[in-house]
Amino acid sequence: MSERDLIELLDRQSRGDLSHQETIQLEEALKHPEMRAAAEKHGVLLSQLHAYGKRQALHTMMDSLHETIDEQKPKGKRVFLRKAYWPIAGIAASIALISVIFTWSLNQSVQDKMEEYKELRLEVQRIEKSQNAIVKEIKEKEKAIQPSRYSGTGFFISSKGYLVTSYHVVKDADSVYIENGAVGNHKAEVIYLDALSDLALLKVVSDTFEMKTSIPFLIRTAEADLGEEVYTLGFPREDIVFGEGSISALTGYRQNPTAYQISIPVNPGNSGGPLLNSKGDLIGVISGIQTKLTGAAFAVKSTSLYEVVKNDSIHETIPLPRQNTMRGNRVDQVKKWKDLVVMVRVYN
Amino acid sequence: MNYNSDDLIIAEIRKHNQMALRELYRAHYPMVRNLITNNSGSEQEAKDVYQEAVIVFYEKLQRADFVLTCKIKTYLYAVCRRLWLKRLAEKKMYTGNIESLETFLGVEDEVNDVEEKALAFKKMQVALGGLGEPCKTIITDFYIGDLGMEEIAIKFGYTNSDNAKNQKYKCLQRLKKLFFADDKRN
Repeated sequence: MSERDLIELLDRQSRGDLSHQETIQLEEALKHPEMRAAAEKHGVLLSQLHAYGKRQALHTMMDSLHETIDEQKPKGKRVFLRKAYWPIAGIAASIALISVIFTWSLNQSVQDKMEEYKELRLEVQRIEKSQNAIVKEIKEKEKAIQPSRYSGTGFFISSKGYLVTSYHVVKDADSVYIENGAVGNHKAEVIYLDALSDLALLKVVSDTFEMKTSIPFLIRTAEADLGEEVYTLGFPREDIVFGEGSISALTGYRQNPTAYQISIPVNPGNSGGPLLNSKGDLIGVISGIQTKLTGAAFAVKSTSLYEVVKNDSIHETIPLPRQNTMRGNRVDQVKKWKDLVVMVRVYN
Repeated sequence: MNYNSDDLIIAEIRKHNQMALRELYRAHYPMVRNLITNNSGSEQEAKDVYQEAVIVFYEKLQRADFVLTCKIKTYLYAVCRRLWLKRLAEKKMYTGNIESLETFLGVEDEVNDVEEKALAFKKMQVALGGLGEPCKTIITDFYIGDLGMEEIAIKFGYTNSDNAKNQKYKCLQRLKKLFFADDKRN
């Protein structure tokens, strides 16, 4: 007997129109375990179907009833204040009013103080601007010869053409060009700006760009030590300029924890240059000077740079240098570094 | 007809008197609506909860051994209240301990029952929905509507009832597959 026949028999049995012979046939079939299992499954499904049917009918009935109920929605009762309560209500209302006014005026005075603070902060920002802006402004008359408006320093962190410079060097840029003796003059694109850490990432976009050497230095992820000897390379003028000094404080301008104070004489144009330790590893990026203090310059820590490079909002993965292949003394290091440091020209 | 006494209503519902059930439904809905709309529920939610409660009451009444120990109103209120608290707890809007609340009526079984049955109902609804037409109608006509094979054959234009039987069998197999699909996965 097939399962189809079995189910046919079962269905007819449930309606009570099975002949005697068929009943025997069915009983015989149910002796087989598979048939029994199929019959049980059928039974379960049927009981579920019946339950479904009953429930469905009830739901239909109730839904139709519900429509008639919804029409007789009770109207909201209006509650009027009794006359006796009017004075109390009046007092309550005036207390509420007074407290509202009081809170409001309190808020006002707090806001006033905030305003004072804000103004002060604005000034700080202005000071900070004058601090940081050691972007070299090229005079108008020189513009004919040299049309770039600003210049700063930058350096490669990947042989794929990724460079780091300061945010304030390229922030207003329409177009950016990089240039040094080793790679020549190339157009670059700003791919990331971070005003907070004063860092910017550039990428060389010209097709002719090629860099044969790999990056020989590491980006230090640990902080430098106080008194550590450091040096930098930069373009405060048309030629690359070396400067040396030491870490004079582990915080920057106004206790900024993301920067170092360094004792390297830097000039406008040095912004964005690499700050290097005795091994030739990168420990910071030159960012600014304090105008009223002699010999105080600041550099953004390489730890901030590391965070910026690893930032998720940069959609390109920048292959970072893995090991330091610098050998020899500082002169040898500078020879290698010289090719990695570029002048960043900004046009706007 | 006016059913004032609970006993009369129960007796009539047990006789499958639709009027009595309607009367019952109509009588107690406003109470449940107030309960739920005053406790961060919507009208729709009130309706759902109330219908579940009425169904569970109706099904309980079908059992001969069921004895109502309180007024219908109280019973429905207790079931609805508990159901609603449970829904709120699922929505993380109620953080109290439901278990500690009025256990005197012993409606926990009802509430669990409601949920089980509502789940089974939903499951069958989905399975039948997945079946599509004409299968759905053939199955419901035959097994729920108790229509004869000949009537179904005429309704769907099958040349004889054997063809209709074949079709019914195919539909049934598909429904089995759909309905028991979840069980197999578990």
